[in-house]
This record gives sequence, structure tokens and C-alpha cells, in this order.
Amino acid sequence: MQRGTMSIDWNNYDASNAWDELITAKGRARPGARNLCQMLARLSDQELKERKAAAELAIRSMGITFTVYTGEESGSIDREWPFDIVPRLLRKQEWDKISAGLKQRVNALNRFIDDVYHDQNALNDEVVPRAYIESSKEFRPQCVGVNPPHNVWAHVCGSDLVRDIDGRVYVLEDNLRVPSGVSYMLENREVMKRTFPELFENTVIFPVDDYADQLAAMLRSLSPRKLKTPQIVVLTPGIYNAAYFEHAYLAQAMAAELVQGTDLIVGRDDFVYMRTIEGLVRVDVIYRRIDDLFLDSEVFNPDSMLGVPGLMRAWRAGHVALANAPGCGVADDKVIYTYVPDIIRYYTGEEPLLPNVPSYRCVEKSQRDYVLDNLDKMVVKPANESGGYGMLIGPHASKQERDKFARQIRANPRNYMAQPMLILSTAPTLIDDNVEPRHLDLRPFILSGRDTYVTTGGLTRVAMRKGSTVVNSSQGGGSKDTWVVEPG
Amino acid sequence: MSRTLSSTAKRSYWLGRYLERAENTARIVSVNANLLIDLPVRLPLGWQPLVDITGADDLFADIYEDPSETHVVHFLLSDLRNPGSLFNSLSSAKENARTLRGILSREVFEYVNELQLYAKQTLSEPLSRTRRIEGLSRVMERIRQIDGFLSGNMLHDANWNFLRIGNFIERADMLTRIVDVRSSDLFAEQAELEPFQDIQWRSILRSLSAMQSYNVTHQEPMSDAAVLGFLFKHQDLPRSYVRCLNQMRNSLKSLPRHEKPLRSVNRMRRNIASEDVSELHGTTLHEFIDRCQHEIAQLHDTIDKTYFDFKPRRPRRGTS
Repeated sequence: MQRGTMSIDWNNYDASNAWDELITAKGRARPGARNLCQMLARLSDQELKERKAAAELAIRSMGITFTVYTGEESGSIDREWPFDIVPRLLRKQEWDKISAGLKQRVNALNRFIDDVYHDQNALNDEVVPRAYIESSKEFRPQCVGVNPPHNVWAHVCGSDLVRDIDGRVYVLEDNLRVPSGVSYMLENREVMKRTFPELFENTVIFPVDDYADQLAAMLRSLSPRKLKTPQIVVLTPGIYNAAYFEHAYLAQAMAAELVQGTDLIVGRDDFVYMRTIEGLVRVDVIYRRIDDLFLDSEVFNPDSMLGVPGLMRAWRAGHVALANAPGCGVADDKVIYTYVPDIIRYYTGEEPLLPNVPSYRCVEKSQRDYVLDNLDKMVVKPANESGGYGMLIGPHASKQERDKFARQIRANPRNYMAQPMLILSTAPTLIDDNVEPRHLDLRPFILSGRDTYVTTGGLTRVAMRKGSTVVNSSQGGGSKDTWVVEPG
Repeated sequence: MSRTLSSTAKRSYWLGRYLERAENTARIVSVNANLLIDLPVRLPLGWQPLVDITGADDLFADIYEDPSETHVVHFLLSDLRNPGSLFNSLSSAKENARTLRGILSREVFEYVNELQLYAKQTLSEPLSRTRRIEGLSRVMERIRQIDGFLSGNMLHDANWNFLRIGNFIERADMLTRIVDVRSSDLFAEQAELEPFQDIQWRSILRSLSAMQSYNVTHQEPMSDAAVLGFLFKHQDLPRSYVRCLNQMRNSLKSLPRHEKPLRSVNRMRRNIASEDVSELHGTTLHEFIDRCQHEIAQLHDTIDKTYFDFKPRRPRRGTS
């Protein structure tokens, strides 16, 4: 085969506009990234195209998709998962610190949620104003007094981390309800192994593939019956849900049943059973991927067909474990987020190991005035949205959009918080057969049951459009394999 | 420990039924054109019997003025208003396969999906007979490919057995329908039809993909008694009634809680064994077929109530 021209020239890569995860501002490979950068530079144009095609083929044949809802008529379609072949690197030493910070944070959040539904010490001691909790859309009076196993509520947490231009890593938000994306983290690694097998021989890359085992072990640790193999199910809203691929993937990887609400039934004895061809089989643990309000039409949304009538009765009686526990979203309200550093200090007596992004609460007049005066420099977020919806990105918004947001903030200040616009870190990303810097974030997953576990790295999401910081796959974001490496 | 959810089993069963139904529909449409070519034009056979076979005659009469070839073919192949049209059967098969993606190998959904798209592209427009027959052959070929892929690659577990039961119950049902409608013409005792009886029996055999097998097993001239005996009671003919029952029995035997459905199938097997079908003629044949169809419907009901939509008995504490 004729070798074409070399296609990646690191000398032309400009890493000076943000902190770049692979290349220093002076254009040198960061420790641990040297092998990778050299290998990529050695690939000819043709070889690079082939590797890219190989990755795309792997994604197709492995059936890695995500679902996009396209409207009433056409329903929804499966798109192939957007993947960039240049991995994102983190040094083991740094990752260990981040990992400890995440454990500390999720541990404190779980104690906070348990406190909110029991004695409310943190509210009595005015660590978090009572009014915020009582006005939170995610506070569930139905959960007061319930004692989930190990006092843990948020069993699976997906925290979003970002790195600012000074190289510092911040927690951008905590996703405590039904965070998704972990299956893509696992599949990205598989695709990468198929695409660049030689890199895995020459670099110490820590594996990620124990996640499904860890998830299954965590779920088993919640079982009310002390069995060796309690019956675990993954409860999905169904094939039209955007994350259905992940629900099916995780169920298969854990050898758990993938069920919909109609497969389950709560008996008059308040136990949960699933309908099988052998008859009813008792269920011990439900990894639910349905929002609280759809879980049980007896208690929440009476029109919900997705959940299981009576489920809350069974859960409150301790007959079945729900992961995550209902009501845990009270701690991922974006206004409550601004109190998390105080929450960590209050419950652990330690300083937070991982900082929050500096945040302003619109409900407090002085902070609100600052936000309104500086809207063109701020990112404004509603308290309870996810997926990047309902946000204002001040520097990119028009005057009308900012004015509209200003009115919304004044009308309902409790519903908003604001943060200065960070310059998210970048990594080289293949764009038209060359590498260009693109902004990214990182979503590690933290499992809490009897023990706490943090994924090795996480899911790196990358904004494929130049200058954009929108990384959501529903809005044109892509992803990268995330390597935690030991520089040799 | 792997359990089979009722909902999953139900989808497997219906995937089997819809694929079989699609294949049968394609075959009867494709065979009818040949039959008409062989018969004198003045005979009043035409296309209406195909509608009668599918049992959708009322619906058809509501939609169309007359049973012309164009109307009937459109109704049976691509009319979205006809729940039993080839196109709707394939769409239902596709929906079931989609939800079974974690269970069946991934290719199955892709094959069914491609087949449905193919049918949509090729069969929605009115076509010349030749092009239509060619398109229908493709459809049948692809369904057989899917069958082959499933039996060669799918785990032969409970879902596989439900899929097979779906295949065979649909096949048995179709057999009785074809014989019922076609024989009513045959036994109409119209003198002018007499010389063409062979052709019609042949067309029935072709509709059931059994012509060649018949020739291999029968040397004597074609007769009502011989064909009926062959179609209902031949143990080795893949589409014979008794073979369908035997296959269902085998599948049921490897499923849990099979007492009731197995009892139904065995009763059906005893009934067919004791029936001398060669004696059946006209009204007696029609009555016999009525009984078969009733038993098939009951079997479906029993399977449904046993495995899919069973009323949960009040669960006892701690049962597993």
C-alpha cells in the first residue's frame, strides 16, 4: 500500500485558547500522551481514514445507538453513536484525587438526602434554608421517614466535571436521578480497542470494564432478601426512550431482566412480582430508569402507564429496593447545588476536595442584581432541567434572549442560578481528517451501596462544532474514550 | 438465572405468527395468478376467494366496489386498512422484532426491517403480474432466510419455542382456511368445473407449497380423498395439519406449566387421528374444518391465558 502524506501535524495544532487535555500551550504532548501523539502523527492520511472507518464499522456492528425522538409521525429513530477516535487522557495521580473528591461529595449528598427525609438537622441548623427544600419540585413528602438500605438514596450518580482554562477541575452538576451514559463509556473503550489495538500494548491504560460487575454487586447489596443471587430487574420506559440502548445493555451485562412497568405487579402482600412464563417471580431490587413521578400511579402521576401501581407501598415496607431511591433528586436541584460545599463541611467536617463552579443564587437580591447586570457573561440554569435544556448561555445569546431571561429570573428567582462562563478544556478531535481542539466535559459515575465505587475516568463528551460547549448527544455532541494512564 | 418474561414470550409468539402470515399471504396471491391462467376465462373463480381465505370479506366489501384483481391484490398486499395485509403483517413482525432486540440476535431485527422496507418499496404500486410474482418470491425467500437464520443461530430456549408455536398455529390456521374456501368451489358440483378439478387441487397444493411432495408420495391419479389425507394427516409434510400439531406439542413439552395447552394439543391430535378425512365431502368437510378452526382458536386462548396474560393468583408471602 502506498503511504499517503502524513496528515496530522502537531505543529499546526493551536492549544493556546483553552487548557488542552493532550497538548500544552507550548505545543508539547502532556506526560502520558506522548506515545499517542507520536502514533497519530505517523499515520498517513489513508491510514487515518481507515482507522476512522474501522471505528464506525465497529459502532455499527456492535449496534451502539442512541434514540432521537423525531415527532408524532415518524416516532423515533436510532442513530449511531458519535465517536471521535482521539482519546482523552487523565493521569492516574490526578484521577485518584478527583475520585476521592467524588466519593466525599456523593457520601455527603447521601447523608443530606437521608437527613432531609428524617430529622432535617441541616435545615434546623440553617446550613440549607428550609424554604428551598420545601419549594423544591424534587422534594417528595411520600419519602419522609423511609429507611433505604445503608441509608443510601443516590445509588448511581453521574457528576459532570469540567476543567477551566487554569487547569482546575470543577463539579458542574450532580446528576442523582437517572443519570445515563455509562454504557457509552464502556462501548467507547471496546471500539477503541478494536481501532487502535497497538496503543493498548504500549501504554498503561487502566481498564473500565468492571463497571457492570460493580453495579450488580451494589444492587445486590440492597436486596431485602439475603440471597446469593437476588432477583434484579432494570425498569425501562421502553424502546422509545432515548437511553433504551443503555437499559438493554446494562441488563444484559448484569444478567438482570429488562422489564417495563407492565411486566411487574405489586401483590396485596405489598411485594413486587414479575410476570414470567413460569408464573409470578418475586423481585428484590429494581434499577429503575424512570423518573419519580411516573413510578407509581397510586402515589404520583395517576396517568402514568410506565410505572407499577403500588410500587411505593412495597418500597416503603422495605420489600423491594429502588435504585435510585425516589426523592433523591432533591439534592440535584441546581440551587441546592450551590450549597453542596457547605453540605460537605457539615456532614464530614472536611473541606471539599473538589470545588463547585462559583455560583450565584438568583433568589438572593444582591446575587440576583449581580447576575442581571452581567447576563452577557453568565450561564443561567433553571433549578430542575437536564440535558442542557432551558439554559441561557449569556455570551452567545441575543439581546432579546437575555431580556427574556431577565424577566423570567425576576418572575421566579427561586428557579434560577447563574455561573460565570468557564472556558472548557479541549482535546484534539478529528475534523475532516485533521485534528482541531474541541471543548469537552467528563461524566464519571459513582456507585453507592454498602461500598462506594468510582468509574476509572468516565464518559467524555465533546462538542463537535468549533467553539461550542454543548456536549449533549441529542444536540450534536460526540464522545471520546477516556484513558486514565500511568505515564511511563 | 435467566427467566423468560411473559411479555417477551408473547412477542416471540407473535413474531412467529406474523412472519408465517406474511409468507402465507404472499404465497396465496402469487399462486392465484397461475391458477387463473390455467382456467377458462368464463369460470367465476376470480380473486374473491383470496379475500374469503383471509376472513376479511366484510372489510373488503366496505372498502371496494368489486373484487377485481387490482383491488384484491392491493387489499391483501399493501392496504394499510386491512390489518391482515402483507404489509401490515410485516410491520407488526418488525415491531415485535424491535422489542426483542436484546433477546434475538441483532441481525434478526435488521433482516425483518429490511424486508418490511423492501415490501413497502416494491409492492405498494400496482404491478404487472410478472413483476408482482417476482416481488412476492423475494418476500417469501427472505422470510425463509429469516426462519433459517433463527433456527441456525438463535438459542433454542423458551423464546424460540414460542416463536415456533406462533409459526405452527398460524400455519395450521391457514391450511384450514385455504382448504375450506377452495373446496367449496370444488364441491359446488358445477358440471363445467369438473374437468378442472385437478388444476384446483394442484393450486391448493401449491398454495401450501406441497405440490412436489405430493407427487413424490402419490402415484395414483389425484383425488379429493388423497389430497385431503395428504394435507391433514401426512406426518412428514411440513405444512400438514398433523405435523403442525406435532411440532407445537414438541415445543410445549419443553416449556414450563404446559399442562393445559399440552392437553389441548393432544386432544386435537387424537381428533385428527380418529377422523377419516377421505370420507369428508361438501358439508361434512366444512363442518370438520369449522371444528378444527374452533380448536385452533381455543389453543391460542389457552396459551395466552397460561403464559402471557394470566390472571395473577393472589401471591403468597415470599413465593419465588
